[in-house]
Amino acid sequence: MAADAVAARTRLPLPALIGVLVGAAIMLTPLVWTILLSIKANAALVGNSSAALSPPWTLQNYAAIFGNGQTMRWLVNSLIVSTGTTIGVLILTSLAGYGFARLDFPGRRPLFLFVLMGLAIPGQAVILSQHQLFAWANLHNSYPGLILPGLTTSFGVFFMTQYMRAIPRELDEAALLDGASHWRIFTRIILPLTRPAQSTLAVFTFLGSWNDYWWPLISATRSEMYTLTVGLAAAQMNYAQTSGLGYLMAQAVFASLPIFIVYLIFQKQIIAAMAGTALK
Amino acid sequence: MRRALVLGAALALGSCSPGERGQGLYIQRFFGECTSDYGTATDVAKAEGECGIITTLINAFERAHPEARVSQNVVAWPGYSQLTAQMAARQPPDLVTMHSGVIPDYAGKGLLEPVEPYLAAAGLSPGIFTPAARQGVTWKGRMYGLPWDTHGGLWHINLGLFRKAGLVGADGNPILPRSPEELLSQGRQFRERTGKPYLIQSLVGDPAGAARILYTYMMTQGAPVFSDPKHIRLDTPEGRRVAELFRDVTREGIGTSNMDTPAAIAAFMNGEGGVYPTGTWMIGQFETEEKTRGRPLFQSYSVQPFPQLYGRNLMFVSGHAWVVPKRARTPAERQAIADYFRFMAARNGDWARTGHLPSVQAVIDGRQFLSLPHRRDIAVVARIGRALPDGVLRQNAIEGLVGEEMAAAITGQKPIAKALSDADRRVNEFLDEVQ
Repeated sequence: MAADAVAARTRLPLPALIGVLVGAAIMLTPLVWTILLSIKANAALVGNSSAALSPPWTLQNYAAIFGNGQTMRWLVNSLIVSTGTTIGVLILTSLAGYGFARLDFPGRRPLFLFVLMGLAIPGQAVILSQHQLFAWANLHNSYPGLILPGLTTSFGVFFMTQYMRAIPRELDEAALLDGASHWRIFTRIILPLTRPAQSTLAVFTFLGSWNDYWWPLISATRSEMYTLTVGLAAAQMNYAQTSGLGYLMAQAVFASLPIFIVYLIFQKQIIAAMAGTALK
Repeated sequence: MRRALVLGAALALGSCSPGERGQGLYIQRFFGECTSDYGTATDVAKAEGECGIITTLINAFERAHPEARVSQNVVAWPGYSQLTAQMAARQPPDLVTMHSGVIPDYAGKGLLEPVEPYLAAAGLSPGIFTPAARQGVTWKGRMYGLPWDTHGGLWHINLGLFRKAGLVGADGNPILPRSPEELLSQGRQFRERTGKPYLIQSLVGDPAGAARILYTYMMTQGAPVFSDPKHIRLDTPEGRRVAELFRDVTREGIGTSNMDTPAAIAAFMNGEGGVYPTGTWMIGQFETEEKTRGRPLFQSYSVQPFPQLYGRNLMFVSGHAWVVPKRARTPAERQAIADYFRFMAARNGDWARTGHLPSVQAVIDGRQFLSLPHRRDIAVVARIGRALPDGVLRQNAIEGLVGEEMAAAITGQKPIAKALSDADRRVNEFLDEVQ
């Protein structure tokens, strides 16, 4: 009886349900359209893209993606770069966040403000000097060259600092009284409590790194070091939007699959992050 | 200490990257990646399209010259961001595909090698190239690339609709206008008899198309588009005449006004208009339609140079070239470049199957090229084609600005005088900044 009452309270009224369904249809239509285009031969789409709505469909565009010997290499490169960047960001921002949130040291506030200033500087503003620095260090066309720039995230430091500030200080004080070192407090007490924030930051860092195009484009100039975004763009022929539309859409679907998988695994954290609950 | 260790590890990893290149010939190109279809193919005659033909040609060179140790890098179109980055990092490739309009940007900064020594080593005289192709790679009297092709605007024509409109002559060729007045009258006649627009214009997001029209028809009136390499002059009686003509075409419904490139291509292929003015690069696609039974263009396709509406028979053209970025090279590396030039020049006719015009005069005059469909009609472009003056920098960016304003004038979004003067102002301000 009580369960029925709860179900009745949580059930959407019909107009709202219709609204949600219409909204979902609007959101899904471009995705369905993309998938339909991707399973249609290029030649059939040149004159009329609505040919995607009717058979025959084919997987030849996907076969062409895998037929390119370097696609899997680009995929692996993207995984290495995105995973490396994510792990690096989590380590560095957690350490920095702990330092800013829990430790007293001379110049802490000015240093924190200095880090925050990074939020106001767009990446493009420093791209030339960054490129020259990496050229000087011979880091272009290498994994460190693709990973290191992504580690300097002011937002990540700010995010972790704010999260750690919200954790009661009594926990540190009790541990200090028991003789624990700061390293032990950080690794055994504070870090486990920041898992929701770490998950959120990890998801956004991974997505950002996976979708990054600009830096890999100018740093990875050898095709064997391309990430998936750059590699797939290079594989396109001129006028791909007309004479290679099916292939173009297959590339889009293929490039988004890993992101889709990440979303499936971490959807709870992503939704929590979107709702802002990860900060509570 | 720890930071130093991390930096040390990063540097060590960096130095172990798989991107290390040896002393082989490092070729960087656009035109797409199609190893799934042409991975190791060397039979150029069987290759189709820009990507297929260039991939097969490079494979064939690699087989013929194993000592060159070719490595190939395919870049996202057009690849200039990457090239600039490579040059900044002092790791440029040995050979790069480049549009002729971009050559002054790099040559002017001393980033490209003049290629005459390579041509001489390859046994190629500069005189073997067509005037248009040679002009495209020349900057301050020196050649900065192996001319690879010439491409420019063409009128792609639906002969079936032209026939219906009474615009096909007894010889089976389309009757094209020879003056602005004829363009309007033939356009009206076409629309009345077919119920369709005479011109399919891609004026949305295709600034190059609109700029091509303005450049070409200003040149044919004898008006210099640039008064000097640092100053453009479009707001002139000649410029206004061109803009007014195409604004009238659009206003009267003789030409479409709301299509982007994919829409215009689809419209032409589906028989929704008489003429699609675009470049040489679409010939291959439309030839396929011409051979496909049941399609609107089946046995009904013709392609002609832009019609001569004013006094002179000239046309704005561009081209592709192979350039050699400047860096220290061993004699063996220099020889490999010369070998590549000789090999590619000898196979320039194969590239012509893409629709682009050959850069070698003997090829364009040859039976093999002229026997390709429609090529006899458009071969003249190599003779009448003109590039912008060779001192003009940032031609691609300028084309974008000019095309944007010209499209605004044609579609009536801006008064013609304002659009052209805005184009002049924007381009000249831009050139002031870059020089």
